Amino acid sequence: MALLQSPHWPVLIDVYFFLGGLAGGAFVIATIANLVDARRFRDVSRAGYYLALVALIPCPIILIVDLGVPVRFMNMMRAFNPLSPMSMGAWALLGFSACAFLAALITLLEDAGRGRNLGGAKTAVGVVGAFFGFFVAAYPGVLLSATAQPLWAGGHALGALFLAVGASTGAAAMALVLLLVGRRAADGMSRLRTMLVLALLIQLVAVGVFVVSVQGSSSLAAARALTTLTSGAYGLTFWLGAIVVGSVLPLLIGLANFKRRSPGLTALASVLVLVGGFLVKYVIVAAGQA
Amino acid sequence: MARTLAMFTDTSLCIGCRACQVACKQWNELDMEVPDWTGTYQNHTHFTDKTFRLVRFIEEPGGQPNGDLAWLLMSDVCKHCAEAGCQNACPTGAIYRTEHGTVNIDQDVCNGCRYCVSACPFGVVSFNEQTGTARKCTFCNDRIHNGLGPACAKACPTESIQFGFRDELVGRAQKRVEALKSMGFKEAQLYGADSSGFLGGLNAFFLLLAKPATYGLPDNPRLPQRNVLVESVLSIGSALLVGLGALVAFRQRPGSKEH
Repeated sequence: MALLQSPHWPVLIDVYFFLGGLAGGAFVIATIANLVDARRFRDVSRAGYYLALVALIPCPIILIVDLGVPVRFMNMMRAFNPLSPMSMGAWALLGFSACAFLAALITLLEDAGRGRNLGGAKTAVGVVGAFFGFFVAAYPGVLLSATAQPLWAGGHALGALFLAVGASTGAAAMALVLLLVGRRAADGMSRLRTMLVLALLIQLVAVGVFVVSVQGSSSLAAARALTTLTSGAYGLTFWLGAIVVGSVLPLLIGLANFKRRSPGLTALASVLVLVGGFLVKYVIVAAGQA
Repeated sequence: MARTLAMFTDTSLCIGCRACQVACKQWNELDMEVPDWTGTYQNHTHFTDKTFRLVRFIEEPGGQPNGDLAWLLMSDVCKHCAEAGCQNACPTGAIYRTEHGTVNIDQDVCNGCRYCVSACPFGVVSFNEQTGTARKCTFCNDRIHNGLGPACAKACPTESIQFGFRDELVGRAQKRVEALKSMGFKEAQLYGADSSGFLGGLNAFFLLLAKPATYGLPDNPRLPQRNVLVESVLSIGSALLVGLGALVAFRQRPGSKEH
């Protein structure tokens, strides 16, 4: 007899988790590329900063529409509650939005040839925004773990997993953007391929830690909830969609593509990562609420 | 802070009349709902946004001292935890603690994010589609601030639900457990009375005649926010790995072909 109640968060919330993570990941990668060599990796940071802003724009709209009383969305700003990842996430989203807007604005000014003295500001905005970006990518996982729902609370590393998914989907989206604008042979492209492979490795380790830690937890309810994810209604989506097609396959393609540098394979791997990144978040949220 | 108020629900005295459930509905003007046909007298199966008091009907084979089937009745309610998961989860500050130690949701502040619903270890907090806010037992906040006890306690004909100062009620409850044990109810126990126990003690605590799990109650409910620190540290670890990965990716020597 389960007494718990589900929050019944709709798929739209998964879309937010996906977009917020993607934006955070793209912003962080753009910042590091910009820090290492602003001129050489200008394509990369440009793609990352624009992408972060574009991916962020729907986020507050999704969150506000999902509220029971949307006009009261500003009430999130009347409390600062460090124990509540929801409260911290709302503040982080605000800070990240400001940084993403400024970074994209500076990039735009540079594109227009008016950014000569803005290098320092870009670096500062990038570094501050990267902290917020990490936070926005990771906090939904911490938020889920700080509930009474057995699947989410029973394991570890959900925040770590969501952050890694943010990095992999961010890198994948940036690679796709660079391919679409015809920068297939640029130096930054090969760096993004490496980044994608590394992020996928972290992501797979984090999924493993999560599943194993739920399995190893003493909670019977958590063990039961895990079967919903790994063998129940969501088993196929989880193993085939999120793990095999969405993580392992693009990882293998990425490894094989180190030497070959085929734009087609990079595009394929990137699309798979985006699909898998969404599925892994969707399936964990859905199975936890089932 | 004023002396902590509490409700003590002695399930051994409950006769399952559901006067508490009705009184709660009437005082709080909670709409009726389509009944759940459960095969027992219990209605509804769980707390809802319009059912704050809920009498549970449980059949426990061999649960009586003489080995007969025990028909366990429990008038369940929000526990008003001393360390409340819902209050800690609330991002708007709508969920607050009164000077009497009870936990309340300010209906004018709640914006309906439903995080508290997922954070309650007892499945108490419910979402109301009409108001768009989270709802739960208010401990009859209006009544206790006007010298009246909660409507459910007032209506209870057997004093199964008792209202008063917490310390007095706990003393009374402990004596009652001893009396029941001497009558042969070996599993008689208090749930949530110990303020050094789980969740800092419950301000609506219970006397049970069987193990908590028999009533569907968690043996040792945890504060959900206890995970925040560990998971944040793990997230920072993941962030360091991703950052390091990005540095490796962008600092590696470029391939000769690209130069």
